[in-house]
Order: sequence, then C-alpha cells, then structure tokens
Amino acid sequence: MSDETKKGLSGFLDSQMTRRQFLKISGKSIAGLTVSATMLSLFGCTQQQVDSSQIVTWAMPQGLLVVNAAKCTGCKRCEINCSLFNDQECSSYISRVKISRKLHIHGKDGLLMGNFNYSPDTCRQCEVPACGEACQKQAIFADEQGIKRVDPEKCIGCGDCVEACPWHMPTVNPATNKSGKCIACGACVQGCPTGALAVIPWDSVTAAAQEIVA
Amino acid sequence: MTVNGWTGNLLRVNLTDSTATVEDSLKYQDYIGGMGMGYRIIYDEVPLTTHPYDPASKFVMGTGPLTGSGVPCSGRMNISFLSSWSKGYSIIDAHMGGHIGPAMKYAGYDGMIVEGVAKSPVYIKIQDAEVTIEDASHLWGKGTFEANRMITEECGNGFESASIGQAGENLVNYSTLNTSFGNSAGAGIGAIMGSKNLKGIAVCGTGSVKVADAGKVKELSDYMMRDLVGGNNNHNVPALPQSWAEYSAVSGKNRWSGAPGRVWGKAEGGPIDTGEQPCGDINKIAYRCLKGVFDYGDVATNYIVKQGGCSSCPVRCYTQYDMDPLAEYDLPTHVSNTCMPMLYGQNFYPSGVKDFKYEGDAKVILNGASSHAQDDLGLWCNYGNLYREVQWVLSTEEGKSHIPEDEWNSLPWKWEKSCDPRWVVEIMRRIAYKEGELSVIGEGTIALAKKWGLGREYFDMVSKMNQNVTYNGYPKHHGAEDSGQVGLLFNLMYNRDCMVHHITNVTNSGAPHAVTKATMEGFFGSGCYDKMKSYTPMNRNKAKVAKWAFNGKQFHDSATLCNWMYPMTQSPSKARNYVGDLDLDAQYMTAVTGKNYTREDVEFDSERISQMLRAMTALSFNIHYESTNLRQDHDAIPAWMFDKDPDFKPFEEGTDKMDREDMELALDYFYEEMGWDIKTGIPTRKTLTKFGLTDMADALDARGILPA
Repeated sequence: MSDETKKGLSGFLDSQMTRRQFLKISGKSIAGLTVSATMLSLFGCTQQQVDSSQIVTWAMPQGLLVVNAAKCTGCKRCEINCSLFNDQECSSYISRVKISRKLHIHGKDGLLMGNFNYSPDTCRQCEVPACGEACQKQAIFADEQGIKRVDPEKCIGCGDCVEACPWHMPTVNPATNKSGKCIACGACVQGCPTGALAVIPWDSVTAAAQEIVA
Repeated sequence: MTVNGWTGNLLRVNLTDSTATVEDSLKYQDYIGGMGMGYRIIYDEVPLTTHPYDPASKFVMGTGPLTGSGVPCSGRMNISFLSSWSKGYSIIDAHMGGHIGPAMKYAGYDGMIVEGVAKSPVYIKIQDAEVTIEDASHLWGKGTFEANRMITEECGNGFESASIGQAGENLVNYSTLNTSFGNSAGAGIGAIMGSKNLKGIAVCGTGSVKVADAGKVKELSDYMMRDLVGGNNNHNVPALPQSWAEYSAVSGKNRWSGAPGRVWGKAEGGPIDTGEQPCGDINKIAYRCLKGVFDYGDVATNYIVKQGGCSSCPVRCYTQYDMDPLAEYDLPTHVSNTCMPMLYGQNFYPSGVKDFKYEGDAKVILNGASSHAQDDLGLWCNYGNLYREVQWVLSTEEGKSHIPEDEWNSLPWKWEKSCDPRWVVEIMRRIAYKEGELSVIGEGTIALAKKWGLGREYFDMVSKMNQNVTYNGYPKHHGAEDSGQVGLLFNLMYNRDCMVHHITNVTNSGAPHAVTKATMEGFFGSGCYDKMKSYTPMNRNKAKVAKWAFNGKQFHDSATLCNWMYPMTQSPSKARNYVGDLDLDAQYMTAVTGKNYTREDVEFDSERISQMLRAMTALSFNIHYESTNLRQDHDAIPAWMFDKDPDFKPFEEGTDKMDREDMELALDYFYEEMGWDIKTGIPTRKTLTKFGLTDMADALDARGILPA
C-alpha cells in the first residue's frame, strides 16, 4: 500500500464507513493506518497490533472479518467448525479456513521455526476472484449477497481454482472430486476460542464511525 | 457401508522387511480404540515374556472413534507396549497430544502396529494410502525439534511429525516421542522406537473423520464449551474474582488463571490482556488458562507470547514463551511445555538460584532451559522421579555417595554456582547420553534402587524427594490428597504413574468444598467425597468413585479424549448449580459413531480395558517374579504414606496421612467393586468372562493364578 493511500485511508477510517470503502483495503494488513480508539475496541485489537502487521481485515457481506494473528493459538477449531458445518464431517484438508498448513512450518515462521507466529488463512472473497476467473466450467459464481460459491453440479474437480488463487484457498475434496471454498458462513468465527477470527457487523462498524464523526 | 468415528483401517508396518499393510480395525470396536485396542493387540501378538527391546516386541499407536471428530479435546493418541523400566515389565501406555492423532485419522487409520527392526535408521511416512519407509540416517543424533523440523520440511507443510531424541536412540529407558512443540509421549517409547532404528513418523491426511450426525457433534461441542468447560483441568471457577462469577478460587489460585490485567506480555504487536472470560462465551475460553502464571506467578507474563496446545482443544494449556535471557547462554529462547518439565528446573541448583531480568523470574528461565533440553533430548521424567532423584544425588550425602569422585568433579559446578541455565541442560544431556553413574537415573527408579543397593527403605522414606506410590518404580500422579483413599486407590493399579485426573480436577477446581461435595454426592451418594487433608474412613461409595475414575481414564485414552479435561464433572454455570454432565462422553459416542451408547455402555466397555490391564499385570508378575498375589506384590503401599506428618493421626484435619487398616479395607472394597479376588487382587473367571476375556482367564489358570 502506498504512503498516499495509507494517508487517505487513515482519515477514512475515522470518518465514513462503508463496506465499499473497506473493500479497497480488504485482505491487506492495515499496518500504517491510525485507527480510532472506538474502532480498535470494536476490532478487539490495539494500535500497536495494527502497526506490527498483526491485523488483517476482510470486507464480507455480513460484516468486517478481522483476523488478529497475535491471538491465534493454533487449536484448529476454525477448521473443525468449517468442515462439520459445510461437509458434515471433520477434516483439516478440505476446510475453507486454513491453519494446519501454517502451524509448524511456513516460510520463516511456525512452531518449529523458532517462533510462535502462526495464524489462519481466510478466503478474501475477492471482488474479481481469481478462482472464478480460472474456472473453465464457470462453476464459481457470486450469489445475491456477492459471496462466491462453487456449483457442485458444474465443478469437475480439475483444481484450476486452487492453482489460480494466490493463496490456494479453494480445495478439491479427494473423496468427492468437488472444489470447496469459503461461503462466509461464519462457523469458524463462532468457534474461535480467542476471537482471533471475528466478524464485526457492518452496522456496528458504521455506528462506531459515526460516533467518531459526531 | 459408511463407518462413522472409526476409519475401519489399522496399519501394520514391519520394519524388518519394510512392508506396510492394512487390516480391519472394526474387530476392536468392543475395545473402543486407543488404549483398549492396543492392549488387545499386544496381548494377542507379543508374549508377555518378550523383552521390550527384543525384535519380537511391538508397539501400537492407537486413536479412537472420537479422535479428530471435532469433539473438543479429542487430539490425543495412545501408544501401548511392554514396559522396560517398571516392576513386572508389563503393559503400559504413553500418550501424546499435539496434532498427530487427528492426522492419523484423516490419513485413514485408527492406529498403527509397528513390528520388527530396521537395518538402519528410518522414519515412517504416511500420506493417506501411501506408506513408505524413509531413510533417517541424516536425522539420527539430532534432537527432536531439529528432527521434526527436517522431517516436516522434507515431507511438506501438511505433515505432522513425531521424533525420538538422543535418549531414545541411546536406549535410555526414560525416553519420549515428541511432536508439535513440547507434546510428548513418555514411559520409554523413545527407546522402544530406538531399538527398532525408528527415528520418527510423518503423517499427512487429506481425508476426514466421518460422523453420523455432524449437527449433533457441533451442538454437543458448543454445549460443552458454553455450559460445561472451565479452565485447564476443568477448574470451574476463575482463580481471581470476575464480575460475572459468583465464586473465585478459595485460595486465589487455580488453573483458570487468566484475569483482567494478566497479559500475554510478549505477544506480537504488544501485550494482550486475558480479561474476563464469562461462562457461555465460547470466543474467550482460550484466555482462561494462563499456565505460566499458575506455575510462576505474574512475573511469567513478561515472557508469554501466547498460549498453545493440542488440536481441537479450546483450553490452551501450553504457555508459549520467548525467554530472551536464555540467548545469552546460546540456548533457544522460544520454549513451551505444560506441567512437569516446566516445574523442577530450579531443583537442580542446590546452591540456590538468582533472578535474570525480573524479580522472581529464576524459576521461569531455568525451567525454560530445562524443559526445552528435556524435550529436545527426548528424555522422560517419570512424572518427576527423574528430578527428585537428581535432586537427591546433588543435595544429600547419601545420594552423592553413589557418584564416583572423578565424575562428580567433572560436572561443570561453576555453572551450578552461578545459576547458569546450561547446568541443567548438561545434567539432562549426560543422562540422555548414558554418561557416567548419574545416568543410572535414566534407567528408572527400580534399576537405580537395585544398582545402588537402596532396598525398600528408599521407597519408604519420608521425604519430599520420594513420591513413590508403590514399590514398582513410579510416583503418585496426584494421590491421597485428593479425597483420601479414592485418590490413592487408582494410583496403585497401573504399571506407570496413573494419569487419572477425575478426582484432582474436582478437588483443586477452586470451587467451595460444599459446592463440589454436593456435585459429587449427587452423582455417587453420601460420603463418597472428602475435603482435602480432612478425609474420613473408607466406605462403599468411595470405592464406587475410585472405580468410576479408574475405568473412566481408560475410556479417555481409548476414545480418545483428554483426561486432563474430561469428564465434565463440574461446570462454571451457576444456573446448573455448578454440576457438570457425566452423560456427555456417551452422547459424543452416539453422535459420532451413530451407535446408541448409554453411560452404562461406555463404562462397561471401559471396564473391559481395566480387566485386561489387571490380568496382563498378573501374568507379567507371575512370569518375572513368580508372584501369585497382586495385592501383596503390586499394590503394596510404601510406608511414607502412613508415617508422614508425625504430629497427626490419620483422619485428623490437616493431614492426608493414611491409616494402614483402613487402606486394607479400601482395597477389599475396591477389589469387590472390580470383581477381583480379595486375597490376591486378581480378576476371577466370572469377571473376565463377563467382559469376553475368557482367553485371559485361561492364561491365568494355566499359570495357576486364577482365583478359585
């Protein structure tokens, strides 16, 4: 993010708050932004965490998803809830939120790399999704809320969506040969025992912003 | 046909001929899984005369129907084998948390039998259906952290791994298998694997655990997290007052130690306050256990990055530290463990300890160094006997007399005197490398007592350095302090420390005694439960509680669920009168497997495992000692438990000193509850037949020790 953009967004976070505007920074660390005390409280984080790249936000239809890496304890309840809710079975691999692959070793981080840095990857709900763009069967579509879903009738399990996603978030279930991706159901957030994953409803985000303006 | 809970597959790896085959695991369903399955397989396949390090010896890694099912605290794996160090060389288990148990399930296996011996160092790589034996010669000699890192890098991010350290390679009886960060299976499994040239295992599963009713599994899990779970060891009231809570711990201290103002002080991006964690709020549970503060007080928060732990558990009991003072000594600063390896580092310094950076942090830093070294070497502590015996050698004239003068002088005493963390690391290293007489400690309490000619009086002495609960080589794992005879009875039944937390979790929960007593008596009847250090004479209800705990632990190591957390005896909910739910285990089994389980069904299957343990122990004691009487030769209680607190009499307020006659009565009642012969403590044919164990009755009969 350029300095100019950051400067512009610092003001933005203290004033008008719309999902549309959050989409502009969706999926990026919000390091460099000055966030109001009210908003920090709402996000359950501190300015220091923002500044040290621990906080990433995602604009989702039902609210703002806040991922606080410093709070993740690697329990995998997000993956468990995801697969139980979406697949009626329990699995790490096909979960649409990913912590297992980041727990022990990922790049310079992980439990076995001499530090305790690990946190889940979540679907970005990209406005122009690379997964959907790559799908040769047009099996990934946006529903009425803008959530990108996989149509299992059309999916042939080719894995192009997995490859195309820069973060490899969709997963082809080896048992069904169908791709699965996040549908923003919120089961992961509901089960997170630290609030490392949290969804802040848009009306709360907007209210917090208005309070500041007032 | 879809099988739920179980995968239906059991992996058999033969290291002699490098083969891996798959067998049906469903024939072991009556044994639940894990521990129960392991006992049945070891009994069927390994003659109890086999030396644990003999090529004919085997071990069984077992998960159960609940492992990896999504049920909270279902991340554990059980490992069964013959003991190399405890009296009788009979059946024992090691247990590990972390994440590798669920990975086994996701790879498609309920367990793995490992047999034979590899010609050179290897590790087993399991990637779903593909199982290969990989060269590990480049890993041999490495500590477990480095070995696990290398294995994971070689195999890929999706793999879980577990490795033995130098202790296991060097066939030190006190050795572990380590996984994740600080999670280890002990009891000598490291050397069992070392004797097979097996450095470790790597597992990646892209599959799932099929569950009969996913909605119900999630509903029960949410119910447990919302209404039943407390902190670590399921302590059901917070240590300090919280605005929503009626009670806090009577002593101001328990394992629900998170509180406003107590922080993860070294969290990335600045301190995170653990705040209040009200009953019912699932998204705050993981702030309840702040184990570092429980262990060392508030000073620990200066070094805490976050809490960690096992797969699926919302209560994070592994404090993860960044102890920067260790860098000065070229020791790793990121350390984590829970319980024993984090508690006794300071006892290695008879000259005393000094703080490093903050007032009171000496214990924190020394235990950081100690636990990391121990985990890296893959050294087991036998629930603290290793620390007590090192302390006995370093701090008493009698202990010192067993170490040759040259060896004594070769110890780097300047480190001991300057409170250098490398001192404790060096002591651990010598034991793991079998260097010198000091390393006899690593062979086990029985071997040590024999080699140093210590006799029964070593087990009988009244001393904080003696916690031996029998004469068989292992200490109490909690004990008479938890409801008198109840806590002591199940401690006597295993061939290692008992690992039963049913009672200590209640006793130490922090709730007022009247509240816990009402809960326990509601479940088991009047007089079944005593206040700490104020216990009453033995009665029948106490025997029932002891039996419930004994069998229940078997269920948890078979299903698998963490026995530090389950059963949900108590609750933090005022609306529930703080009463937990003992039907939950059976409800999980029903939701996951689709078979209808009642609490009685679960307890019956669990008791089958207890009966196998007892029958196999009787056979082993007969084989190795010609014993015909477990009461006399296995369950005997050392004198210190009857002779401690000389100013008190048994049953007086202020002591848990036991009464000899009363404990004999306790054994009578307990044996009767279990269906064992009162005189010998050996299961009768009628009892074994009831559980489908006629083959074991026949074996006891063949050796002439089946009760008439």
